[in-house]
Amino acid sequence: MSHYQHVKVHRQRALVVLPIVSLSLFFLSWELVVDFGLVPQTLLAPPSAVVKMFFAKLTSTAPDGLLLQEHAWISIKEAFLGYFLALLVGIPLGLAMGWFRLAEGLARPIFEFIRPIPPIAWIPLTIYWFGIGLTGKVFIIWIGGIVPCVINAYAGVRMTNPVFLQMARLYGATSWQMFRTVCIPSALPMVFGALQIALAWCWMNLVGAELLAANGGLGFLIQSGRKLGRPDLVVLGMVTVALTGVIIGLAIDRIEKKLLAGMRR
Amino acid sequence: MTSHHIANEIHHVVREKKPFSLVDDLLMSRWFLYSMSVILFLGIWYYVVYIDVFGRGLCYPHEVITEIIRLTSRKLAGKELWEHAWDSSRRVFIGFGIACVLGIPLGFFMGISKYFNAVFNPIFNLIKPMPPISWVSLSILWLGIGEEPKIFIIAIGAFVPLVLNAYNGIRLIDEELYDVVRMAGGSHMKEIWEVSFPAAVPAIFAGLQIALSGAWSCVLAAELVSSRSGLGFVIVQGMNTGKAAMVIAGMLLIALIAYVCSFCISYLERKICPWRRDLSTH
Repeated sequence: MSHYQHVKVHRQRALVVLPIVSLSLFFLSWELVVDFGLVPQTLLAPPSAVVKMFFAKLTSTAPDGLLLQEHAWISIKEAFLGYFLALLVGIPLGLAMGWFRLAEGLARPIFEFIRPIPPIAWIPLTIYWFGIGLTGKVFIIWIGGIVPCVINAYAGVRMTNPVFLQMARLYGATSWQMFRTVCIPSALPMVFGALQIALAWCWMNLVGAELLAANGGLGFLIQSGRKLGRPDLVVLGMVTVALTGVIIGLAIDRIEKKLLAGMRR
Repeated sequence: MTSHHIANEIHHVVREKKPFSLVDDLLMSRWFLYSMSVILFLGIWYYVVYIDVFGRGLCYPHEVITEIIRLTSRKLAGKELWEHAWDSSRRVFIGFGIACVLGIPLGFFMGISKYFNAVFNPIFNLIKPMPPISWVSLSILWLGIGEEPKIFIIAIGAFVPLVLNAYNGIRLIDEELYDVVRMAGGSHMKEIWEVSFPAAVPAIFAGLQIALSGAWSCVLAAELVSSRSGLGFVIVQGMNTGKAAMVIAGMLLIALIAYVCSFCISYLERKICPWRRDLSTH
């Protein structure tokens, strides 16, 4: 083995070992910091307590009244309702805004007006309008998710290769035909990009909405953990939110790959 | 909104060949459509309030304006409206600043060094999927209800997109750019200074924009959960006293400040990296 190859193998090994070392150091110091009382138990739960809490919450409704799965199911239901409504309205709107001047002229000022308002800011109004049930949260998630959908679909249509459009026009395509057969397919990768961004936004706004107004869901779990002074419950809620978000994100990634198979990116 | 697409130019030409018609012209005039849109929006708003769909949950648009004027001349919890606005902005600026100072270098080093990346990327990947708002509870538990927990949440919320964008900005640099420096005999430091850093700036700016809007969401969430000042507090006050006008006034002011901030960043971006002219879509 030449010297060069030897060095290379050595380096590769370091790159495999280092992440494991850093992760175990992270968890170990987290565990020890709490166990040795550097940080009081009332402020932070060690990872072991979180894992214990996780298994306990799968079968026990104490102390907040619902099982962990039930909380997760409530959150997922709300997030998906809002998410699909956002896709259903946002993507066609963005596509139309990118191509039709009428749609752009009518929708753009309102969109620009609503866009900079953080979705969380709608929470007080939605509590007035819909109470603290499902509808209000779906509305907040919807209004947060619609923004990336519109922006990406709009940008996708705008970035259509002008040569394709010229060619379509040369062959006598009508405006609608060009929109349907050229703009929409070429905007698809951007639209799929929006799916992930919108999902992340929806998931974040969901937690915000549930912190402020809810009687179930993962955000509610976090909030009740704080109110009861139970950091293990808070951390468990945060970890479950993160995990669920990652799983949904991966699922959408898979669907995206399936649907876009054969399309050049 | 200027478009450089050839396609759109042709569009104009084709349209000009149509026989002259006032209605067509109006429907194609952007400013006419924009004003129609605003009028329609306000009209629907007035109508919804008039037929009383949401009861006290919504007020007439002009009431929002009068409410803002009223709030400027009155003290709320010992502070004027501008002081509340400043309180929120200060939290955002401090938290955002901390996130920039920590996040951009971290992402940058993760991008240029494999070993650095191997150490920090796994831990970063643990934090990344947690919505920053979910830190609200933990930060209140840790830091009480003063200024620190709010700044903490904003810093966490802004941190993730900053790291991610700086990292991806470096990773996605065109390899040929490095080859040019190497051909010209540049050292490794030269590569980093002359290529990595400038080439990542547009991505970093995109990260700044995302981080900023995230920061405003976070400050609002923190202030809605617990605070005694800031625009989130104004909104909560409006909610507790049953004044929809005050709630909407708070929302509008936040949107306005957030908009001005993001405008400043895009202005800065145009000054710092003028080579980036495309994608004027938003």
